[in-house]
Amino acid sequence: MSDSVIEVKNVWKKFKIYHDKPHTLKDKVLFWNRNKYEVRWVLEDISFEVKKGESIGIIGKNGSGKSTLLKLLTKIIYPNKGSINMKGRVAGLLELGAGFHPDLSGRDNIYINASIFGLSKKEIDKAFQEIVDFAELQDFIDNPVRTYSSGMYMRLAFAVAINIHADILLIDEILAVGDISFQEKCLNKLKEIKESGVTIVIVSHSLEQIERFCDKSIWIHSGQIAALGKCKVVHKKYKEFMNSGGK
Amino acid sequence: MVFQEIYQYKSMIQSLVYRDLHGRYKGSFFGFLWTFINPLLQLIVYSIVFSIILRMGIENYGLFLFVALIPWIFFASSIQAGSSCIIDNANLVNKIYFPREILPISIVTSCFINMLYSFIIVIAAVIFYGENNVYINYIYLPVLFAVEYIIVLGITLIVSAVTVYFRDLSHILSILLMMWQFLTPVFYPITMVPKEYVYLFELNPMTNIISSYRDILFYNTVPEIFLLFQSFIYGLVLLFFGFIFFGILKKGFSENL
Repeated sequence: MSDSVIEVKNVWKKFKIYHDKPHTLKDKVLFWNRNKYEVRWVLEDISFEVKKGESIGIIGKNGSGKSTLLKLLTKIIYPNKGSINMKGRVAGLLELGAGFHPDLSGRDNIYINASIFGLSKKEIDKAFQEIVDFAELQDFIDNPVRTYSSGMYMRLAFAVAINIHADILLIDEILAVGDISFQEKCLNKLKEIKESGVTIVIVSHSLEQIERFCDKSIWIHSGQIAALGKCKVVHKKYKEFMNSGGK
Repeated sequence: MVFQEIYQYKSMIQSLVYRDLHGRYKGSFFGFLWTFINPLLQLIVYSIVFSIILRMGIENYGLFLFVALIPWIFFASSIQAGSSCIIDNANLVNKIYFPREILPISIVTSCFINMLYSFIIVIAAVIFYGENNVYINYIYLPVLFAVEYIIVLGITLIVSAVTVYFRDLSHILSILLMMWQFLTPVFYPITMVPKEYVYLFELNPMTNIISSYRDILFYNTVPEIFLLFQSFIYGLVLLFFGFIFFGILKKGFSENL
């Protein structure tokens, strides 16, 4: 379909799992027979499409391949088979505060952090005030980041991430930021972003968060799509599955 | 196209260079002044040691060495720091997408800017110590800077990508760079090299570069344009292969960090 902004077609991804990887020459010589690895397919034949302005949640238990899928979408790693097509500017929020330098001021770090997401200086100038206001750090913006409390640090990092004005936003378990009122603010901001037409893909263990602003959910189980569809329906199946032991 | 994308991310290069240059001396009393104090102290040490203790039979040896050493330090420190730049930024590479070429480019650029700052001390030393300076020859300096930058970036792209898969490279490089320094006319003039070996020295892309700096700043002559052009071609080939090689290896970076 032409209005899909994310197209994932028959994607396979494997990792080499070394049981006991010999790193040094000594280990290699002494334990030459241990240099065995197992090829594990982390994702098997994944296909889905996301339309512009849609939000989808990805759920699944630990180690099911959710984060790997998100890394593939972000182009941090590449699939072994299949293809992924993304349209527009993609911002992957897999970690907050990437590239922060503790000795530099909050102001400097906003510029560094935002530039890593590919924003030009002009774009950052424009977004700057909004970032500072959102992070509620007006009085501390010229202090070095190492003097910040962890809450302030995360607020600043989240404020930058949310102001990137991307077409596609990929989010991995980062909504556990700050106190409840700040979390609330983040969720509302995400809703607002969604309504402005941004496509959002979010990986989370919090089903309620996903239900609050996602249209669809994808449940991934041991590398395959176990269910895809309306959040409520998918979550019900998932909960039943988890309650029955999750095997 | 990768170059288009790198251009899009130019503000990332700027901020990484800024982070490197300003973050380095943050918290120290002299702060950014260290950028100038470092080469100045080196110059003082060399002039004292080589004019009083180790007399080399070359007039004004301290300056002779200094004008070649600063460009050499740019070369060596870029390659050394560049070799581990992907590993050092593992948290970025594992979590965020950006053209990976940004990392080696930023390292080389920040070492390059450091060299430019040091050149303020170099020029001051040349004015102060040098004799019969021909300042018009300095118009060749920017050309020389550019050619050296291209060579350094080409090599750094290659070593930074290889080090991800073969970590020993960064230790091997520190020995290799020391050997390389002795095989490049940094401490001695190329005229000291026995005739039958000169052709071997000319295979080294840094020989022409270092000799040209010395021609301009110490001997007050015009550098040999043909040799400089040869180095430029050398650099372009290195850079071309550097980008291609890096482009192939970068896809596996995250999984190997």
